Amino acid sequence: MRRSYIVSLVATVVLTATAVISAAAAGWAPLLGLDLQGGVAVTYEATEVADDETLDQAVEIIRQRVDALGVAEPDITRQGTTIVVELPGVDDAKRALDLVGQTAELRFRPVLQAASASDPQSRFQMQEFANLLNESLANPQTADEAATEDTATEDNTDEDNTGETGTDETGTDESAETTTTTEDTATEDNTDEAGTDETGTDESAETTTTTEDTATEDNTDEADTDETGTGESAETTTTTPETTTTTEFDPTTAPTIEDLITAPDQDDADAYVVLPSSDGLVLYLLQPALLTGEIVDDANASFNNASWLVLVDFTSEGSDAWDQMAALMFEQQIAIALDGVVESAPTINAREFGGRATITGTFTEQEAEDLALVLRFGALPVELEPQTVQTVSATLGDDALRAGVVAGLIGLALVALYMLFYYRLLGLVAISSLAVSTGILWFLIAWLGETRGLALSLSGAVGIILSIGVAVDSNIVYYERIKEEVHRGRSIRSAADGSFAGAFSTIVKADMASLIGAFILFVLTVGAVRGFALYLGVATVIDMVVSYVFMRPLVVLLARKFAADKPGRLGITTVDSAAVEVTS
Amino acid sequence: MSIFMDLYQGESHIDFVALAKKTLMVSGALIAIGLIALLTRGLDLGIEFEGGVVWEVPANEQISEDEIRSVLGDFGQDPRVQLVTGGSDIWRVRAESSDFDQLEQISVALAEAASVSVNELSRTEVGPSWGDRVTNEARKALIWFFVIIALYISLRFNAKMALAALAAVAHDIVLSTGFYAVFQIEVTPATVIAFLTIMGYSLYDTLVVFDRVKENTLVAEKGRTTYDGMLNVSLNQVVMRSINTSITSTLPVITMLVVGAWIMGASALQEFSIALLVGIVVGTYSSLFVAAPILGQIRNREPDWQRRVELAERGEATGSVAEARASLMASRYTRGTAPRPRKMGKKR
Repeated sequence: MRRSYIVSLVATVVLTATAVISAAAAGWAPLLGLDLQGGVAVTYEATEVADDETLDQAVEIIRQRVDALGVAEPDITRQGTTIVVELPGVDDAKRALDLVGQTAELRFRPVLQAASASDPQSRFQMQEFANLLNESLANPQTADEAATEDTATEDNTDEDNTGETGTDETGTDESAETTTTTEDTATEDNTDEAGTDETGTDESAETTTTTEDTATEDNTDEADTDETGTGESAETTTTTPETTTTTEFDPTTAPTIEDLITAPDQDDADAYVVLPSSDGLVLYLLQPALLTGEIVDDANASFNNASWLVLVDFTSEGSDAWDQMAALMFEQQIAIALDGVVESAPTINAREFGGRATITGTFTEQEAEDLALVLRFGALPVELEPQTVQTVSATLGDDALRAGVVAGLIGLALVALYMLFYYRLLGLVAISSLAVSTGILWFLIAWLGETRGLALSLSGAVGIILSIGVAVDSNIVYYERIKEEVHRGRSIRSAADGSFAGAFSTIVKADMASLIGAFILFVLTVGAVRGFALYLGVATVIDMVVSYVFMRPLVVLLARKFAADKPGRLGITTVDSAAVEVTS
Repeated sequence: MSIFMDLYQGESHIDFVALAKKTLMVSGALIAIGLIALLTRGLDLGIEFEGGVVWEVPANEQISEDEIRSVLGDFGQDPRVQLVTGGSDIWRVRAESSDFDQLEQISVALAEAASVSVNELSRTEVGPSWGDRVTNEARKALIWFFVIIALYISLRFNAKMALAALAAVAHDIVLSTGFYAVFQIEVTPATVIAFLTIMGYSLYDTLVVFDRVKENTLVAEKGRTTYDGMLNVSLNQVVMRSINTSITSTLPVITMLVVGAWIMGASALQEFSIALLVGIVVGTYSSLFVAAPILGQIRNREPDWQRRVELAERGEATGSVAEARASLMASRYTRGTAPRPRKMGKKR
């Protein structure tokens, strides 16, 4: 019996010490939550019902995006239908949010017109044009005319952006794959002709196709001449006398940027839309999407010839689709639109790409990397809406952490003093048990942080502080029971042995209630409460184990050693000694 | 012998059941006040429940409440501004939710006004529908908690104890919620966590007490003491444990409040620690003065125990604490578990 107590005691101490030391040696340290070290936390909720698989996929994509951001120890967890993204140490909240939160589909849309956002006249022109397109959508007969307008304006755009964009490389394939919108077909015809003829005229009843042709041609012609948004728009009106537009430009009634930009809920793949560039300086009038981000296999920023560029690899299916589009849209701009913003609008300057495209321009490193990210992880399988966004300043987090640690240590010291004062040697046992529990807990927190990326947050710390009380209570329950038995006349040795079963049964019953509560909270809640529940549960289990394998043997061994001659050292007064006090 | 020596020796004869009749009236009055406040004033719910945005701005000489108001006023916001004092003071600015760009602009403007970098500001933003979800979640968790814990206690103890223990937990929660309603303290997720902690602690403490009651009930059934007498003995036996545990549990919380929140100024710790402090004290109190007396009330209605009460009135059974203790001891030892005489033990 005695031997087994010693073995249990030594084994517990050795195992705990080994775990702590090896974890420390391996450089493991508790991963601190956002509220303790500053950073950004976002809680996302799917806007529509999504199954587990879809949500897991979304988590995976977000994780890739976040990893690409270079955030140390991000914590991305799915809790039910909620996705919690915690980016500790991130201070540029906007950039992180922008990248993580881009949840819409990545779309490739042909550019019909580009205009300087700050110029009222360009905006006016664009609105006229957009109205016309909408009319033509409503009334197919005017479609031809609308298309014609397109072309004129388009020139402009090309010119504006050529500085930034470019593309290239070769490939093959004319796959049967088509992107099916009516618009497409229109464009397609176009391209056919574009390849062959140059005049780009035709006023035939043929179809929209011909008109599109014109567009392309105009483009090239005009390209040399004008550069500015205004110039272009002026031209547009002149070159397209057939248009039904009659409204005169009036600066006072020109649409605002907000008026012009398509509302997020109207940003459908098969609609004509007006979207701003990512810097907000240019507005684009865009055709329905021809392709989506699914065609992109990989995209990377790369430095070449003293400038940053983005290399895009397509999937095998995507490669065909892209080439098909490139053939149609040769020498025209394709906008890469995501989440209501045109990330980039490169001009297609090859007809075949062979599965790989290069986007060149005046990118900074950051811009190139961000664009590559967008291309790579553009599409999430489900739309996510941020529900809570929390930015904690590193200073405040640090304050909370330092204050928490200092307060925790002082609190522990006071508990230790009280236990020593009240229970003497047994108080020392309580302190040792607490030390062992703390060691195990530290190891587990570090382990969870290291392998699961689970961070210790302020609420988790509160769970642990509560568990200090519970852990000490296990000692108190046991000691009070020993005292009681001794008071009834039992010897200290026999009381120490005999009281444990009853005390432990009490401890387990009460701890089980804590555990059940913690489990329910962990399963049913999200965020902070969950962290609290986790660490409360973990600490409670540790308490039960330490009570059994450490506290009990230590108390029993101490009782054997000191009980006979110096019971006072155990903080236990026998009936006699109490009686002496009274009579004296 | 002083009362402390009695307590230390486990020989106190406090009539908890009689005391509880008075304290329950106090509890009842406090609960009534809390409920009235809850119905008339309601709870001051944080943005996590109502949606909105909160900035935490370092409070320095550069920025005053009026300035903060004017900064947000420029964006058409009428914020609620609150100074959180501590080692480093913080302005807590709460406003309506808005689009991301505007919030960014407000952050920048606030940082400028305070002459600090934007990164030194904390911001929490919560969408309007989130609160409903959180509330539903909490409600669901609470219901499951009560159901499963009731089952657990019914299995490990008995159904009547489950009822009494959960009544005590409910007492604590209603009391704490009332406290928040009366003083209009903002309810944040930290508050919710603190309340859960209170529930957990209260339940834990009650079960430790009930475990002793359960043990003594078996003994008392063979003796001549009333249920209340047995309860009193049990409570006197565990009261020192309750006191010691609440002392050791509150010590870290008090240091967290004093050192962490007041001296070092971590306002986040303050929210937790106040609620925890109140909760631990109330939780300990309710185990002794709410859970046990309610259990007594329930069990006293059982025919067997009722007969004991009648016998006690005729002087044939005993209700006083001292006599009940003696009776319990006697019954206990007749069960064959009598310890060896102490002196023998000493010689061993």
